Amino acid sequence: MRVILQPRTLFIVLSVACLLAVWLSLALGPVSLPLMDTLRAGLRLLGFPIAGHDLQQAELILGQIRLPRTLLGLAVGAVLALSGVAMQGLFRNPLADPGLVGVSSGAALGAAVAIVAGASLGGLPEAFAPYLLSLCAFAGGLMVTGIVYRLGRRDGQTSVGIMLLAGVVMTALAGSIIGLFTYLADDATLRTLTFWNLGTLNGASYVRLWPLLLVCVLVIGWLPRRAKALNALLLGESEARHLGIEVERLKGELILCIALGVGAAVAAAGLIGFVGLIVPHLVRLIAGPDHRVVLPASALAGASLLLFADVFARLVLAPAELPIGIVTAFLGAPFFLFLLVRGRT
Amino acid sequence: MRFMTRLTAILTGLVIANLALADTPSPQRWVSAGGALTEWIVALGGESHLVGVDTTSQHPQTLKTLPGIGYQRQMSSEGILSLRPDILVGTDEMGPPAVIEQLRAAGIKVQVLSASADVSALKGNLETLGSLLGKQDEALRLSESFARQLDSQHTWVDQAQQHQSAPGVLLLVSHAGAAPMVAGAGTVGEWLIKQAGGRNLATHSGYKIFSAEAMAGLSPEVMVFTDRAQNGASARDALLKQNPVLAASRAARDNRFVEIDPTLLVGGLGPRLPEAIKHLSKAFYPADTSINAKVSPAQ
Repeated sequence: MRVILQPRTLFIVLSVACLLAVWLSLALGPVSLPLMDTLRAGLRLLGFPIAGHDLQQAELILGQIRLPRTLLGLAVGAVLALSGVAMQGLFRNPLADPGLVGVSSGAALGAAVAIVAGASLGGLPEAFAPYLLSLCAFAGGLMVTGIVYRLGRRDGQTSVGIMLLAGVVMTALAGSIIGLFTYLADDATLRTLTFWNLGTLNGASYVRLWPLLLVCVLVIGWLPRRAKALNALLLGESEARHLGIEVERLKGELILCIALGVGAAVAAAGLIGFVGLIVPHLVRLIAGPDHRVVLPASALAGASLLLFADVFARLVLAPAELPIGIVTAFLGAPFFLFLLVRGRT
Repeated sequence: MRFMTRLTAILTGLVIANLALADTPSPQRWVSAGGALTEWIVALGGESHLVGVDTTSQHPQTLKTLPGIGYQRQMSSEGILSLRPDILVGTDEMGPPAVIEQLRAAGIKVQVLSASADVSALKGNLETLGSLLGKQDEALRLSESFARQLDSQHTWVDQAQQHQSAPGVLLLVSHAGAAPMVAGAGTVGEWLIKQAGGRNLATHSGYKIFSAEAMAGLSPEVMVFTDRAQNGASARDALLKQNPVLAASRAARDNRFVEIDPTLLVGGLGPRLPEAIKHLSKAFYPADTSINAKVSPAQ
């Protein structure tokens, strides 16, 4: 495979893109803040003693709305892309996306249960209600992935093929149960469900952010350490075993990382497609298949893509906003096609 | 002594705060999330205060020129802030909760009203809206007129039922005739049927897709329909074409199809409902042409 950019150049480009994305995400929104106000409010939030009673609005928007949203976007984007790499490495199949082991559909099922049951019970304590959805989605993702992993294990071995099939079946099963809930839901609940399935970074708050950030830091810290093992796995399972990799352990770790990471991301932001499938491809097209490059580069690229998409999502229809799941594919797909076509000629 | 000074300061502060509260001017810039509420605000003469509405606020047509804040359950905090509103009014359906909290933190008054299809809830909503707009008398007048129109409609229906029994009705919501959903318990659709003197044949709750066979089995005498894509005869024809079984129903045989505006069914009780009920009643009791002419509901 041809390498378009050397790893060092790629990292510089991606870091710049990521910083740019963060800056845009903090500086742009439906409320137009003067550049100086954004800067001054930012410095004040960092604890610099800058005078200004006129900054109340800017500080609120920056600190309470845009900053949590940006952090959420960074974490979700990075984790989805990393999980995508792990998934494609594990299945040795470029078409694998994190949904394949059932984590997305499990999370969607958990969310459907929370949304529909929560609406029909109606009597949940106010303080608990916002967490119910996230908790159910997270638990649903873990549970379904756990079942898929369990089904794939036989005599101490994990059969990736059986896991793949089990994932497809569990996804279908979860889909039908979601369908049942969709049927039972009333009109308003139905729309909540539909919007949740398209994902959004809207309404990010610190309370919901911290659990996700914790999981993300774990996943982001852990997965790149397994880059060499993933490289060995590319050669095939027995080859990797001969190279001294504990393949079974590696599979278990990867599945756990994917389940935790995607589960937490989906729980916090809903289903955001495309990032996990395409970003790793994109990076491999540019930089070649070495996981030591692909893993960190995908994390950076995923985070940047999601932030750019989010800036677009909040501006294009302002004061309303587009679900981000629509935008990621809308922005990413043409770019990906362009790279594919260019690579061929 | 020091204590006394402090106490005085605190008390002065309280007095000033109270004065400030008493002097709070009624909110000038309004964002409304909820079709029926928006219609009431317009009816109370508050249209000039509106700076943004949600996607369910589609009536009157002039609202289309206002910035749209999206769907009421998926509002964006910064988007709403960019409209610099003083107040956000909406039903208990609006959200997400985190956005509502952020708006409250930004100093915007968030007024949550009831979306239930219930006259007493409507009365409460109107009182709140009236006092917020500084038009209590007007609000009271509207709410009394609404109740009066319903009452006189009930009298009319009672009279009509002396000659004819209440017809069995289904209310269908469809999109270009496809997969019609039937209005069940707890919907504004059912409330309309009942107020107009019909019997809703559907017993489920909410809006559900029925099989054509189940609809035919209920054998409705009158079919109330509303279509989001078409209207008039073309909507009726589409419905019959997509669901041929309906064409054999009693309602089709007697050609008793009534159309209503889909925007009537969204977001609680709106000001146009009494008119719609009148329209439906006439279709439910066509034999009573005499009372149709005689009793017209009081305004």
